[in-house]
Amino acid sequence: MQNLLTYLIFTPVAAALIGLFISAEAKKTFRILTLVVSFVQLLLIVAIVGQTTPQLGSFQLLEKYSWFSIDLGSWGILKAEYFLGLDGLGFSMVLLTVLIMLIAGISSWTIDKNVKGYFILLWILNGAIIGTFSALDFLLFYLFFEFMLLPMYFLIGIWGGPKREYASIKFLLYTLLGSILILVVLIALVISVQTPESGDTVVHTFNLLHMSDPANFIFGSILNPDGAWTIGSQTARWWAFLFLFIGFAIKLPAVPLHTWLPDAHVEAPTPISVILAALLLKVGAYGLLRIAYPIFPEAALELSSVVAFVGILSIIYAALNALAAKDLKRLIAYSSVSHMGFVLLGLASLTVEGISGAVYQMFSHGLISAMLFLIAGVLYDRTHDRLINNYSGLASKMPVFFVFVLVAFFASLGLPGFSGFIAELMILLGALASGSTNQLISEGFTFAAAFGLILGAAYYLWTLQRMFFGPFHVKNEIRTELLTDVDKREFGMLISLALMVLIFGIFPQVLLDYVNPFAQNFSDTIFESIRFIQNP
Amino acid sequence: MEQTLSAKLKSISVGLYYTMPEVILSLGIVAVVVFSFFLRNRKTNVPALLTLGVFIASIAYATLSWTFYRTPVSLFGNMVRADQFSAYFRILADVAAGLTVLMALRSKDLSEKLSSEFYVFLISAVLGSHLLMMSTNLIMVFISLEVLSISSYILAGYKFSRKGAEGSLKYFLFGSAASAIMLYGFSILFGITGTLEFTSATFTNNLSTNQSALVIVSSMMAFAGFLYKIAAAPMHIWAPDVYEGSPMPVIAFLSVVPKLAGIVVLIKLVMAFALTTVQFDWQLVLAIIAMITIGIGNFSALWQNSARRMMAYSSIAQSGFLLIGVVCLTPQSMQALLFYSAVYMASNYAVFIALQAFEKNSIDSIPLFGGVGRSFILISIVLLLALVSLTGIPPTGGFTSKLFMFASLWASYAQTGKTILLWLLVFGLLNTVVSLFYYLKIPYYTFLKTPGSTLPSENTAFENFLAVILVTGILFLFIRPDFLMGWLNTVNFVL
Repeated sequence: MQNLLTYLIFTPVAAALIGLFISAEAKKTFRILTLVVSFVQLLLIVAIVGQTTPQLGSFQLLEKYSWFSIDLGSWGILKAEYFLGLDGLGFSMVLLTVLIMLIAGISSWTIDKNVKGYFILLWILNGAIIGTFSALDFLLFYLFFEFMLLPMYFLIGIWGGPKREYASIKFLLYTLLGSILILVVLIALVISVQTPESGDTVVHTFNLLHMSDPANFIFGSILNPDGAWTIGSQTARWWAFLFLFIGFAIKLPAVPLHTWLPDAHVEAPTPISVILAALLLKVGAYGLLRIAYPIFPEAALELSSVVAFVGILSIIYAALNALAAKDLKRLIAYSSVSHMGFVLLGLASLTVEGISGAVYQMFSHGLISAMLFLIAGVLYDRTHDRLINNYSGLASKMPVFFVFVLVAFFASLGLPGFSGFIAELMILLGALASGSTNQLISEGFTFAAAFGLILGAAYYLWTLQRMFFGPFHVKNEIRTELLTDVDKREFGMLISLALMVLIFGIFPQVLLDYVNPFAQNFSDTIFESIRFIQNP
Repeated sequence: MEQTLSAKLKSISVGLYYTMPEVILSLGIVAVVVFSFFLRNRKTNVPALLTLGVFIASIAYATLSWTFYRTPVSLFGNMVRADQFSAYFRILADVAAGLTVLMALRSKDLSEKLSSEFYVFLISAVLGSHLLMMSTNLIMVFISLEVLSISSYILAGYKFSRKGAEGSLKYFLFGSAASAIMLYGFSILFGITGTLEFTSATFTNNLSTNQSALVIVSSMMAFAGFLYKIAAAPMHIWAPDVYEGSPMPVIAFLSVVPKLAGIVVLIKLVMAFALTTVQFDWQLVLAIIAMITIGIGNFSALWQNSARRMMAYSSIAQSGFLLIGVVCLTPQSMQALLFYSAVYMASNYAVFIALQAFEKNSIDSIPLFGGVGRSFILISIVLLLALVSLTGIPPTGGFTSKLFMFASLWASYAQTGKTILLWLLVFGLLNTVVSLFYYLKIPYYTFLKTPGSTLPSENTAFENFLAVILVTGILFLFIRPDFLMGWLNTVNFVL
């Protein structure tokens, strides 16, 4: 079957178009249609698994069509392509997107206000995220990247909590600032890179694979690897990497650029929080892995300790904030920031274990954070109150819910047997290995990260103790009869996530078969490029 | 060399072929005036249709004879020059004027006062802009600028309200002062160079040989007139008041046509200076002006409560972006500028058409837009897309045009290594974030706020239709930019 990725992207978009013609009153139709979309996407994923060989580190399922090609006279030809493909990284992320979108779709059944608009935006978002994870043309990537912006703005801004307007505009401005920084580099890259086959007329291209090959930079161009161009005291390439890093770190988010995240999470409706934490944060890490590192490897190497430091700072600072958080959702939001810090640490190590661990952490955190936000949603749906101190002894009142909370909390704090443990273990091993092989990360950083794990255990266990243990008691305003145990729909979502977290924790090989070849290839290519740049 | 009378007549008759669009416009003015004498019913749409026909004929002629303009020709004793560069902008001006006529037909601001005179002034303003875009002689620049300006002053006051009169008078007073300053600059330049033909070699050579501080002073004075026309800082102060008090179709017209005409002639003049050896960094000056313009426009727009005033500051900021094309002055940046102008025209008109539809239902200040997305769903989405295009975010042509513009700026920086260009790039891009904040203010109210009591009372189907067409065009230019860019490639840039 051809063009599987295109089908994957455009299934939800087609649903959005169909949705335009369905009456806004037919809420049930929209709820069923979102299941149909996810079901079709799952079938496509099965087909993709059947058609790919995981052991290869290279790109598969390539789809390449010319988008536009503009002759700009003496300056050359500007060429953009509709270019899609998956490697181990892209595959993990697309798989995660399809799974999470299914869960988010089911979770969205409780949305009752303007259902038509909600689902149409949700489907556009769905297509845009998959597009971002599979685009191999920088312009196409940027298009999908920006396409996530407005649907998300409206999804938070219309269907969110009391302070939704503030939260949504803050989200929008932060993200746009990040994407502008990326745009600066995008433009600089396209004037500096040509296709290898261009002869007398220079063919400028947005192709990410061409950009990742230092041999394709035009001699004397601004981002040429010889580093002849300097801005201030640094080379233009150093700045370009820094801009990309900041741009993607806002999305990640890394401390100190994370302040939009807690607000957005607290105000967003449950399914949107799930998507935000599980998928949109991954876009930031994905951008670093796919764009910033392969294109500017020598700058990445130079700034490796900065990246690692930002990672450590995120781990520790966000964990401390989580300790102090009073609102359950805010606590989970900070724990997200803390866990994404591990991704940065793994990335900075540039070892195979570290990179593998980073990708695994992205996947695993996607599942775990989805579960955590669903848990916060279960409580909020019942009482409209998420303050930790207003509850105690919930375990006796909602036993099934309590089991899920235990699974999610322990998975998140990195208990062996859950997927988070594998990921964080690999990252720490990678960081330690880096200290002894390429000396990018000092041992001190690794120990600091390990300390972050202890903090993680502390805030989760403390929350468990405060909310679930002890005699049952809630604040006076909360009516006790509202606190019913999870219903069938919630049970279904939580049990499937819990099982996945366990499966990927006990049989990591299922996904590592895809991730490891990518990590190996990634690390090799980076060092190969650096060697090429140093001795052309 | 003295020409014989018959040779002169022959060259004039040849010139008329090249300036057929202008001939059509002039005949159109006469036709509409004469026609209105025989008009009993002043409510008829016939003058409007006649005017529309004039613009369509002008567009058709310029498009069909596109290859005709490939080699630039100087006409009427080097007064004007016909080339593809100006032909393209003349087509844009005609399209904009045609849209203005369509808007005027449904405008509430104009309904009582709409008469054939309105169309006469509209055609003469377009005629002025055509000649301005083509002129290569300082006197011609002044005359055509005045034709454009005087018609615009009258059009601006067509609401016949207190605010309209204030805006129009301000526009007139500021405009006259700017013209006077410009004319003074021209006369000094004439004194220095001894010629009025500013694209000629004599002009540039004489400037290079007679270098003095006076050259800089006089050229800055000359620039002032154009900066006024395009509403660039520091000559932008008139814009908000005019935008507030004028009829919506006229604002749409003023935000596009005089701006493009001013940019075109500014390019020609700057080009002349770029060829001299005068010790004067015009690139630095223009880059600073562009930055100030973008900054003032965007930051002032943030605080506006009226949709019209907000769009006034937005158009100031957009002038700054257009100026980037002038700052680079490379063939590539010219192509970007041509593309940008077309997208800007379409986006701006889409916004003003949508605003006109809203104003019909008495929604004018931004808080009144609260929740109207429910009852005006189509036009609200169209307005959102047009504003997104002005911001420069995918999936709109606005993104593509900004991409081309900034790419040419990057390339220019890479070529010259001038730091000011890098600053302009960073500043311009960061301002996109600022502009998003106010461009999204109206959609924010329409979709996120709870509805007030407003329900559609006036039929806006015609406006919806127009705006949908324009927005479709904007979206199309994002998906297939090569469609327009491929055509722009054939433009021969002899400036």
